[in-house]
Amino acid sequence: MSDQRQAWFARVVESGLQNEIFNPADVLAHATPDVLANHLPPELLSKVLAASLAAGAMTPERVLETVTPELLAKHLPHEVLWACIAAAAARAGVTNVVVS
Amino acid sequence: MNTKAFLIDALGGALELGIGTPEDVLRHVTPDVLAAHLPRPLWARLLTACLGASRVDAALVVDTIGVPNLCEHMPAPLIWACIADVAARSLGKPAPLTRADVKGSTRPSSVLAPPPEPARSPAPVAAGSTPVAIGPSIPPAPQPAANQPLADLITELEQDGGLGEPKVRPRSPTASRFRQSNTSIGRGTLGSAARRPQASASPTVGRTPRRSGTEVEDPATAVDSADWRQREIAVDDSQLVDWQADGAGAGSSGSNAVTGDDDFGDLGRKR
Repeated sequence: MSDQRQAWFARVVESGLQNEIFNPADVLAHATPDVLANHLPPELLSKVLAASLAAGAMTPERVLETVTPELLAKHLPHEVLWACIAAAAARAGVTNVVVS
Repeated sequence: MNTKAFLIDALGGALELGIGTPEDVLRHVTPDVLAAHLPRPLWARLLTACLGASRVDAALVVDTIGVPNLCEHMPAPLIWACIADVAARSLGKPAPLTRADVKGSTRPSSVLAPPPEPARSPAPVAAGSTPVAIGPSIPPAPQPAANQPLADLITELEQDGGLGEPKVRPRSPTASRFRQSNTSIGRGTLGSAARRPQASASPTVGRTPRRSGTEVEDPATAVDSADWRQREIAVDDSQLVDWQADGAGAGSSGSNAVTGDDDFGDLGRKR
């Protein structure tokens, strides 16, 4: 069940990005550096930093090029991902969830 | 921003991965919602599938309609509610509150209206039995038969008075114009009820009408003679005349008298 849930969150995040429901900046608004630092494994953090150094900049797009939705769903708490998804859906007007 | 595609991915992925179930979908996409938003061709497909299936459940409905069609035609907030339920359950949280829940309408809107009562058919009448008349005997309205193409026309003409019993038409104001010019009958104040007195035409009793000179036969006498012709008259021998002997003695004049009066029809009147 955990694998399916992980796969589903990965799929939803990927779909949200592809369909422009939210963008990488929205993801990083929830997946903050603190969250990333506390949940991403060291080798993944290392890769992110290496890519940014090569490009000369660290942008949200470049971060998500390294930390793909599958990796986000694998390492980050799903509540964080869901908060990102729900907030984006609310902005898109497709949700009737009352934000408490 | 392609919201539909995102919803398709999210809901379809949940169903494919077993995160969500078709029951989760129908909890929000109720039959009433489907009835309001699903196009008729998709309804036809759904009904066909349900009729051909041995068991109708949520999976059949969702599989038949398809997630893309659901996300295409259903309101996005409803699809999102499905997705939110799935996410909340997977995260171990209670289902998120929706605006409908906040308004207090916790009753699911999936309650179907009860099916209508079956049409009552009249009780079958046994062959040969006479139906009992309950109400007044009202002749049935004329129904144009298929083999009588002019039935409608005839019916209209009958109703207009063209055929059959003529209908009494209301009297038009111009119908009495000739009488008004001479007798002033029918004017506004008098009307047709005020008529001049007229002499009665009762027959007079005990007075015979005057006879004209051209009348030959008295009616009463004619009746009497007719009665005599029918009777057998009793005659004495003394009343009989031996006319043959008289004729011989009378000569030619008596013969002429006899021959001149050979009609015995008025015998009784001569006596």
